[in-house]
Amino acid sequence: MIKIQNLNAYYDDFHVLKNVSLEVEKGQIVVMLGPNGHGKSTFLKSVCGLVKKVTGSIAYEGKDITGLGAEKTVNMGITYIAENRELFPEMTVLENLKLGAYTKSARPLEKVFSLFPRLKARQAQFASTMSGGEARMLAIARGLMSNARFLAMDEPSLGLQPNLRIEVARIIKEINSAGITVLLVEQNIPQITALADKLYVLEEGRISFEGSKDEALGNDHLKEIFLGM
Amino acid sequence: MLTEIIDVIISGMINGSVYALMAVGLTLIYGVSKAFNFAYGSFYSMGGYLAFLVFGFAVLHNYLIVFCLAAPILFFFGYIIEKLLIAPLRKRDDWEVKVMMITLGLALFLDNSYQVVFGARMKSLPSILEGSFEAGNFILSYQDVVIFILSISGILAFRWFLNNTRTGMSVRAVAQNPAGAQIVGIPKEFVFSATFAISTVMVGMGGILLAQKYFVTPDGGWDILVKSWVITAFGGMGSIKGSLYAAFIVGMLEAFVGWQFGMTWTLIALFAVLLTTLVIRPQGLMGKRG
Repeated sequence: MIKIQNLNAYYDDFHVLKNVSLEVEKGQIVVMLGPNGHGKSTFLKSVCGLVKKVTGSIAYEGKDITGLGAEKTVNMGITYIAENRELFPEMTVLENLKLGAYTKSARPLEKVFSLFPRLKARQAQFASTMSGGEARMLAIARGLMSNARFLAMDEPSLGLQPNLRIEVARIIKEINSAGITVLLVEQNIPQITALADKLYVLEEGRISFEGSKDEALGNDHLKEIFLGM
Repeated sequence: MLTEIIDVIISGMINGSVYALMAVGLTLIYGVSKAFNFAYGSFYSMGGYLAFLVFGFAVLHNYLIVFCLAAPILFFFGYIIEKLLIAPLRKRDDWEVKVMMITLGLALFLDNSYQVVFGARMKSLPSILEGSFEAGNFILSYQDVVIFILSISGILAFRWFLNNTRTGMSVRAVAQNPAGAQIVGIPKEFVFSATFAISTVMVGMGGILLAQKYFVTPDGGWDILVKSWVITAFGGMGSIKGSLYAAFIVGMLEAFVGWQFGMTWTLIALFAVLLTTLVIRPQGLMGKRG
């Protein structure tokens, strides 16, 4: 579904990503692990048209989307879900969701509410008054409103307590079984990593590992650093 | 005495309503782009001159025609100015300062153009509605009533636009969280231009409404620019609700100070109140800290 080859990304003169290649098949959940500050977020943002200076190639469903801005990629079904949520604080839940459907091809509100019944009950509440867990759900729900077929999730469990992490993992699984392909980056969250069809590890802007969960478990370097075993 | 006080209150309310219409437009551009528009007052004068031009044609002697012609012209003018002068600057470093400089230049250019085309003398516009309501010593002109109703309608229409239309929602989205707006695919450049154009319409309409009472002059916009900024800062930079309250407070203050001490003191009183407020509440009446 998405094929990235030799992606390089820069912030001004700072070279963040170095020849990153990655592939996600339709219907998969692919997880990228890596320490903080090694370029995971930049990678997701580059894929979603949110980083200005990128070289290399990003192909989505066979079309080259390198350098296209988010205004275009969102319309093609690619949605970025930010690690710090980036909600509209002085708007209601419903208004946030409606803005998620800013592009022409929107998903019906009821479909999204069926995944997030709690948001339906709170649709008139202001986003700024929500708890961390609810705000995270809203960010994911807003991303789905655009009729996304490919979700790029930036640390969806960041800052959540363990029971909410399980909830997030459940929702990711549910979204995926509804036919949405997921690429997500995380530090090291067992519940999330367990969902992965394929794992990548990004260190200092380069891919240092690519393989299945079992292969990752057999890799001593990874076990020590990321899986804490 | 009592009728005098009522007169002053009414005058404050009417000026306040037009100030509100204009200050909300300025607050909106600041909220969305964080840029300071020095030409805002000159757009105010443009409204007055457009009305004056339309009235030059005998067949068009009607305020409805003035509004119907002025609104699209002002919108188009604002849109083009944003696209030609301001949008190219946004890609550069320190663009906010450059926007200040270029809008200052634009203001001087426009004011001088008005002087060349229309002359330096004041132009007057006919009253939107003649006649008045009288009860004893108390007189309320229909003109004032219409100005008040039109300003409030303008603000309500604007509110409706922000809350109920796709473009309006995207304007609020960019003002509240530009990064979030980008993520959901809102075209920021379009929102900037549209906001600038809408605020040009709002201040130009204010110009048409107030020109009937205070004449049109080439440099009459500076007073409005200063007042709109005082209101915006007083209400809390970027807070629309705050600037609404602030506009009425400023209108009232002006009317009372003018009545008690003379019009020359109004601007001094305004700044005194603004400074006191900002010392106590640096974020303004309803602005956010930080």
